[in-house]
Amino acid sequence: MDPYYLALTTINLAAIYGLLALGISIIWSSLGMINMAQGFTFAVSGYGAWLVAQHISTNGLAVVAGGVITGALAGALIGGIAFIPLYDKPNFPLRSLIATLAISLMGGQCLLWIFTPRVKALPKIFGIGNVHFGPVVASYDKIGSIVCSAILLLVTLAWMKSSRRGLEIRAMMQNPEGAALVGVGLRSTAMAVMMVTGAMAGLAAVLLSQNYFISPTAGVTPLVKGMVVALAGGLGSVAGALIAAILIGFIEAVTAVGLGGQYVLITQFLFIIAVLLVRPRGIAGMIEHTRE
Amino acid sequence: MTAPIDNTASTTALVGTRRLLPRLAGHGGVSWRRWRYPFTRRTPLLIETGYNPTTLATERRIVNPAPILWLIALAAIAVAPPVFGNSSFISAATTFALYAAINVIWMLTIGTAGIFSLASLATVGVGAFGAAYLSVYWGFPWWAMWMVGPVFGLIFGVLIAIPAIRLEGFYYALLTVGITELCRVYVIQSQKLGAAAYGLFGADGFVPKDMAERPGLIMGFYASFVVLLLALALYRAIDGQRLGRLLRAAPEKHEAFAEALGINYRAARIQVFLISSAALGGVGGFYATLLHGASPSLFTMDQLMLLLAMIVIGGIGRTEGAVLGTLIVVLFDKVFIGLGPARLVLIAGIMLATVLFTRGGLFGIPAQYRAWRGKRQTERRGQRSGKGGEVMPDEAMEIADKQSIVARRFDARVRAELKALITDALIEEHRTSANKRRSDALERVLTYFRRAAVADKYAVLAVKPFAEYRIVALSGRRGVPPRVVDDQVFTTPEAALHGVFLKRVSDLRDST
Amino acid sequence: MTDVLRIEDLSAGYGPLGVLHSVGLTVRAGERVGIIGLNGHGKSTLLKAIAGLTGWQSGSIKLNGIEIGGTRSQGPGRYTHKIVRMGLALMPQGDALFHGLTVADHLDSGAYTRRAWRERKQRREHVLAIFPPLEKLLGQPVGKLSGGERRMVSLARGLMDDAKLLLIDEPSLGLAPKISKGLIEALMRIDIKDGAMVIAEQNLSLLEGKVSRLIGLHAGKLKGGAVAPDMPLSETTHHHH
Repeated sequence: MDPYYLALTTINLAAIYGLLALGISIIWSSLGMINMAQGFTFAVSGYGAWLVAQHISTNGLAVVAGGVITGALAGALIGGIAFIPLYDKPNFPLRSLIATLAISLMGGQCLLWIFTPRVKALPKIFGIGNVHFGPVVASYDKIGSIVCSAILLLVTLAWMKSSRRGLEIRAMMQNPEGAALVGVGLRSTAMAVMMVTGAMAGLAAVLLSQNYFISPTAGVTPLVKGMVVALAGGLGSVAGALIAAILIGFIEAVTAVGLGGQYVLITQFLFIIAVLLVRPRGIAGMIEHTRE
Repeated sequence: MTAPIDNTASTTALVGTRRLLPRLAGHGGVSWRRWRYPFTRRTPLLIETGYNPTTLATERRIVNPAPILWLIALAAIAVAPPVFGNSSFISAATTFALYAAINVIWMLTIGTAGIFSLASLATVGVGAFGAAYLSVYWGFPWWAMWMVGPVFGLIFGVLIAIPAIRLEGFYYALLTVGITELCRVYVIQSQKLGAAAYGLFGADGFVPKDMAERPGLIMGFYASFVVLLLALALYRAIDGQRLGRLLRAAPEKHEAFAEALGINYRAARIQVFLISSAALGGVGGFYATLLHGASPSLFTMDQLMLLLAMIVIGGIGRTEGAVLGTLIVVLFDKVFIGLGPARLVLIAGIMLATVLFTRGGLFGIPAQYRAWRGKRQTERRGQRSGKGGEVMPDEAMEIADKQSIVARRFDARVRAELKALITDALIEEHRTSANKRRSDALERVLTYFRRAAVADKYAVLAVKPFAEYRIVALSGRRGVPPRVVDDQVFTTPEAALHGVFLKRVSDLRDST
Repeated sequence: MTDVLRIEDLSAGYGPLGVLHSVGLTVRAGERVGIIGLNGHGKSTLLKAIAGLTGWQSGSIKLNGIEIGGTRSQGPGRYTHKIVRMGLALMPQGDALFHGLTVADHLDSGAYTRRAWRERKQRREHVLAIFPPLEKLLGQPVGKLSGGERRMVSLARGLMDDAKLLLIDEPSLGLAPKISKGLIEALMRIDIKDGAMVIAEQNLSLLEGKVSRLIGLHAGKLKGGAVAPDMPLSETTHHHH
């Protein structure tokens, strides 16, 4: 087992899982909603990027922008349907969960309808080839996706940390009524959250589509993985989600190398169940004060 | 002048709502009460006998017509497909019965046990794959498959119940979605479970092989219908009996109260969860004998969502909701199959609309309407501010004699009216018109003053007749002398009376 | 002289409970008004109704001449942020703080207008001058502070922007008498310029002689002094400075 390869794969997977899980985690903690339509955002962004590549330009930046913008729009759509009409109604968490599931089902079927079940492939936006750093050999794909997602993650975290909007989102995570009292508009902030997390899912879609095909059901596995990573990290915790993404990426890398690809999900699940049995609120659920 | 109380609104407001129940002539309550379901103490129908208040004739009414409606609906479901339907309709009806059974059992987990598990279809799938595996590789006959299904379901249930002890609500829901996905990936990758053939088929079936197609379908349908009936009976036996009652005492977020009563709600939850897992496994075993195998589509996200759509549309937590929701979804999914992918979009649209506009599905609409009406009524009642303002609502609850609140409110209104009447001219009139006819306004004020309670009522004390008068306040208690109010001394009774009047006027002005 | 707040015929409550009954209140620029009433008689509801946080309400509330009340029977808090942006600062009873955020974050979150956000450093200094103990706690998460410190954070947060109307709900609740006295002094030190301040309190002695007017609130109705007196207010307020 080559430790460098393992480390690289771990970082690559952790970056992508981090993007997926962070979106779910932020939505849960700031809006109190579990976004099961994140998989739909993922799939639709893949198609957005594909359409850009098909009709406008195969330039890497254009393709990424296509995916990110489609993701943000899909996020806004989900927010408009599942959050805005429901957030002050009784039984909101369950109803919004079901609404996002319905959007996911509906969106998946619409994609199937429009684009047919035939899979699509994105152009290799980072080119084909390998880079050598001493003993490490890394393909452009991996380097590109690590760099891209790291940049997006850092930008998002910095934005959350230092901008007015970010402060509003953090305030809303902690206490929605208090947030309203300092002039935070629940709905506009919610839409901002949905768009940012949608953009994250869009980027993750473009990056993952470097290795996988785009299909109407392509969102299911990333959704499930993002969700369980967010769960293991403790819903609502940014740091927890990142730690969990790294751990789970590592487990995936080790399992794929050591046991074989078909055991990946099983080992991941055993790990997550073990984590949750020890800490029902995830890795960080105990450390941070998050939404009940 | 204060505004008059708005009487029109209060007369139209209903006090409570009458339930409209059909009334039949004649008595019969006693004989109906004598009949029982075998081995239980349940009466088939709750009938009340009474007298018509105007004609005094005996009449009876059905308190809860649900059993009759159930009977009609189930009879229609049992008769319609074989009589009216072609073969695709019958197979759709079979699917309906099977899914309705799954949903009814699932409702035990979600509704009764309060465990938001989304792994119900996965449990069915495990039962189906287990039974199919034993039949294909070990040659189990169909009746043995029916028996091993619950065993697989129970084993799977025990496995997924372990995290359910620690996790709560959505954490568990998400985890079960993950477990379902895990099962799907495992099944489509495993050679033995038919990765290549997209499903594990070739298992034994309970429909005899030499049977013609249509009778075979009809037999399959009736068998599924029996499964549905068994599921309903199981729901009834658990939700309506000891376990259900225990758990009803421990609703979400109020578990501590139940625990304080000595109810071990955790054990009850897990028990219900395991029972329903075993039942779902049994449905899985039946599924395998019906379709001669199992397919991984049982584990897909879309199928799970369809199942969720069924219970959401009807309303989570009620069997009639589960059955109706299943009926609607299966109708769109199987009968309008010509619509292609559009039908799933349609189903998702119905699901979305239900969840956006209703609180508890289609069967929750009457309750939601009543709640909305009640909220509107109570808010209107609260907004009629002419009635409030004397006592706080929580204070009012502690006052036994509600008339005293009304009296206070009336008194406040009278005081407000009288305050407007008091002017310097009026006071001057009182000073000069000791024994003359008085104006209407002054008479009104004086009448109010005379009406005051005896305690602390001002009076004039003649210290020396025709020479010295003082104002005193009566004690209001027998044997306790009045107390002197101040050191003012009047020389005539008229002046003293006017002094009392001034005191009363200033008290009135200070009051609110 | 303008009216910062003008309430007419305000009724408000939650569901079947009518808590306020046809309340009228006028607060002028430069005034500090104390509202005194017992527990459960509607002090908090009055302040919440101004911020649009009650279950239902009807009647007119004008903030600097702009109508913010009106009749509504749902969506408590839906327009609160807009009212806040029009120049209202409510320091509620439960503090409504963000337990995981630091004191500095709280102060920044109070600066909701674009200008205030740009000037947040200067404004922070300004607010810290009023509440000096917060200076050392800037990096601390609020969840770890004591009750008095939290109340200070809540008050300081409301002062970060140029709020025209400061509504303070029971500043002394749950605090030691010495600390609550200090808080009230600090409140009196705040330069309200052309704005106004309304303090709801149970404890009459804390406010007596310190505010321009004291109004009683009993069973959802204001008693005495609800309309601003006609004399110039500068005389009554200035000798406290």
